[in-house]
Amino acid sequence: MQTTHMATPVLEVAHLEKVYGALGNVTRALNDVSFTVNRGEFVGIMGASGSGKSTLLNCVSTIDSATSGTIRINGQDVTRMKQAKLSQFRREELGFIFQDSNLLDTLTARENIALPLTIARTNSAEISTRVQDVAARLSISQVLGKYPYQMSGGQQQRVAAARALVTDPTMIMADEPTGALDSKSARLLLESLEALNRRLRATVLMVTHDSFAASYTSRVLFIRDGKIFTELRRGDTDRREFFDRIMEVVAMMGGEGSDAL
Amino acid sequence: MLCKLAWGNVRRAGRDYLVYLLTLTLGVTVFYAFNTISMQVDIAGIDEEGLAQVMGSMLGDLTYFLAGVMAFLMVYANNFIMKRRKKEFGLYQVLGMGRGRVATIMALETVIVSVVAFVAGIVLGVGLSQLMTFFTASLFKTQIANFHFFFSVHAFNLTLACMLVMFVLTLLLNLRAVRRTKLIELMGAERRNESIKTRNPWIAIAIFAVGVVLVGVAYYRLLRDGFPLTATDSKLQEAMNQFGITTAMVTVGTFALFWGLSGMLIKLLQSLRGVYWRGLNMFTVRQLAAKVNTVCFSMGVIAMLLFLAITSVTCGMSIANVMNENLERYNPVDVSQTYVYYTPDTLDFYKESFNPSEADRMVLADSTVDLYSAWHGDTWHGDRKGKSADNNDEIGKKVNIADVAGEHVQIDSYLSYPLGGSNPSVIPSEMCKTMGEKLPKAFGGSNADAMGLFVTPASQYNKLRQMMGEEPVHIGRDQYLLTCDMGGELVDLYTKYMAGGHALTLGGHTLKPAADKSDEDTAAIANSAMGSNPGTVVVADELLSQLNLQPYSSSLLVNYKQGMDTTEADESIKYTVLDNLLVDGKESGSWGTFITRSEMYTQAAQMNGLISYLAIYIGFVLVVACAAILSIQQLSNVADGSRSYRVLAQIGCDDRQIRHSVMAQQAVFFLFPLALGLAHSFVALKVIIELVSIFGNMSIGGTVGLTCAIFLAAYGGYFLVTYLMSTGMVQAAIATRYSE
Repeated sequence: MQTTHMATPVLEVAHLEKVYGALGNVTRALNDVSFTVNRGEFVGIMGASGSGKSTLLNCVSTIDSATSGTIRINGQDVTRMKQAKLSQFRREELGFIFQDSNLLDTLTARENIALPLTIARTNSAEISTRVQDVAARLSISQVLGKYPYQMSGGQQQRVAAARALVTDPTMIMADEPTGALDSKSARLLLESLEALNRRLRATVLMVTHDSFAASYTSRVLFIRDGKIFTELRRGDTDRREFFDRIMEVVAMMGGEGSDAL
Repeated sequence: MLCKLAWGNVRRAGRDYLVYLLTLTLGVTVFYAFNTISMQVDIAGIDEEGLAQVMGSMLGDLTYFLAGVMAFLMVYANNFIMKRRKKEFGLYQVLGMGRGRVATIMALETVIVSVVAFVAGIVLGVGLSQLMTFFTASLFKTQIANFHFFFSVHAFNLTLACMLVMFVLTLLLNLRAVRRTKLIELMGAERRNESIKTRNPWIAIAIFAVGVVLVGVAYYRLLRDGFPLTATDSKLQEAMNQFGITTAMVTVGTFALFWGLSGMLIKLLQSLRGVYWRGLNMFTVRQLAAKVNTVCFSMGVIAMLLFLAITSVTCGMSIANVMNENLERYNPVDVSQTYVYYTPDTLDFYKESFNPSEADRMVLADSTVDLYSAWHGDTWHGDRKGKSADNNDEIGKKVNIADVAGEHVQIDSYLSYPLGGSNPSVIPSEMCKTMGEKLPKAFGGSNADAMGLFVTPASQYNKLRQMMGEEPVHIGRDQYLLTCDMGGELVDLYTKYMAGGHALTLGGHTLKPAADKSDEDTAAIANSAMGSNPGTVVVADELLSQLNLQPYSSSLLVNYKQGMDTTEADESIKYTVLDNLLVDGKESGSWGTFITRSEMYTQAAQMNGLISYLAIYIGFVLVVACAAILSIQQLSNVADGSRSYRVLAQIGCDDRQIRHSVMAQQAVFFLFPLALGLAHSFVALKVIIELVSIFGNMSIGGTVGLTCAIFLAAYGGYFLVTYLMSTGMVQAAIATRYSE
């Protein structure tokens, strides 16, 4: 723990296992994974394709169910929750940003951002102010009236980020958020995430295979073959230096890694 | 190898193919079943002459229509499949498979599905046709004497041929699609954001308003003008043009209404902020708007088709009902024979234009003929089906009505002007004017005024009443009674006239009503299918003889002798060529219709059956076609939107809310066209009922209610199945994890 006020755990994963298939054809996607994320942390998860990083995110985000082990978010064990409770939990505690922005084509940016609030039956006056707020923070106020197809990829991703943030979630889950973006848009998005984390103390969990994206985080977990291979903390180093250290680990992780990572 | 791939594809894409399969199966079933109608008629024991041919030819035409509708459906369903499968066919090509082989796989898939659909359809069709036999029998009011399982080779061949044509058609379309489509289109673009065609909401609202106004004005015009059927020749063209304008208005209005619907809905709901920004409402409305834009045309078509279906069924069956219900009143006796006198108009017509030489043999009658003594002649030598061989000895046999007649009465109808005159003194428009009423639509611009009402002596009227077991009505020298057996508006008019105490003037005599009600049950002046008496003034015999009116027609109404078998009696006099009635070697008129009651009953039952059959046939096909189109559209919408539903689930929307949204969207698509179609139908039916009321009070109920219930069940069933399949698709989409 680098600073004491961040020490409250938001996410506690313990002995998580995920097994696919059955009878002699078993794939162990996650094998005894344990880690903790504290409030206000910006954590990256890196790994090659097939390493289990997306499975991990899916389990944590309650979209997929674990075979064994526990996942506690804000003290609640999500592996024991019923389906109906899970929807509510996702709605109230989590925010999602996907590789492709996953905005709804038929809704304007404003409506896309408002969607999690309307689902939760927030009153319309409050919806309006909160959407304006979050849009201003991500500098997308000028595109609120547009449809997704009228926006650039970067704008779409920031609208998606705004949708993830508008409910003030306990934790933001980002799955390869820069995957579909050009480098300039990617940088803009990462800077917004970093700013959210720094200024608003938002907890972010980001899966990526891009070392550059990972260098914006405060801590990176490396996954290989379903296990946590190692972990890197940024500490007080600047981003360039952190990026070099990440690259070292990536190189160390394996010969086949360079193309996948 | 290719076969295996194709078979695997069909099984894997089962859900997509299910819609196609169902549509195809349904098409085959309906097609086969309706083409077995002639066999059903046989088995149901309906062996009336000519009926099978009439129905056969009418159904033959309808079969083409049905085939057309089904072809449209199948092409539609096929496009749905192709859209789903494009990417896979693209993938094969990317992997290096030639277009020819891709086409082969696709053709094989189509073959598999078509064969399965054909077999299933025929099996269901055979089952359905057995059931329909009972339905047919009940419609034609017969009993099934010996029911046995039947299979129609004719219908089978027809269905097979039709299927083959459609199969080739869809195959060609698909091959063209594969050949034409670029690989990049086959493969890509699935994940790209769909561009939304947005319409300026204000324009949409304006168009919607225009649609509503057009439909409203069209309703008003239809209610005011009615159908152009009742117009006289001179005004017919004008009336037809006006009706054409009304039709165009309602059609354009319907499409405009659907075109503007989405924009209007969005604006409306957005103005209700609490509603719009609540739950998935916003999403639901936006999804609707996005789709309504592309399907507004088909929604319009469906609304119009449903309108046609509802109207044709309700109207056809109600007319048939009315005719059946009033049959007893229309046919008071076992047999009737009419004799029509020449009037001055007829003579003029013959002399001046038609046949001057014929006119020399014609003379105006100055008194009526006694039909009872005049009714005799020889048995007719004709092609009596199945009878000629046995009854040859009877040909030329002398027949006299007295051989069979028991109670009988002659009813003479005079025109309301004296011999040799031409202007009737009792005419409906004058009567309406006296009461300050509008002329009933049933008269329309017809020539009721030119002819005026008939006049009949009270003694004859009362004799008929006695024959029917009713008390005679006393009609004094200065009194009159109005009778009419056509029910509805006409009887209401006459009853109102008498109840109001209005006087009639006949040959300078002013007459007062003898009763305050027109009894339509004893008002017939001959047997008929749809009424014989549009309006008659019954007056005292002394007055009538004094007035010296122009005879128009006489009818002999006969009941057979007590204990006589009706069928035998009918047979014995049916085929008689009556001797001419000559007065001084000249004719005063000609023999008119000879109608037995049993003949009318049989005809009415057949007519009823035929109309019901056709109405149901057309209606059912239209309803099923509409429902199937809607169903396919909705399923493809859901499939297109599966990504959206996955996103919704991920951001924490629970299943219930998603299901509600799907339900709301589909309800709009199914119910809006239905609602508009029903509204159109109500207005049209209101006018039709007014028009048909000349034949009696048309009531919509009974069979019509049942039929409509079946239709609604079919439509609702499609809705339900679509909804269930959609929620299944949504569940599957949600369950698909976003992959690594």
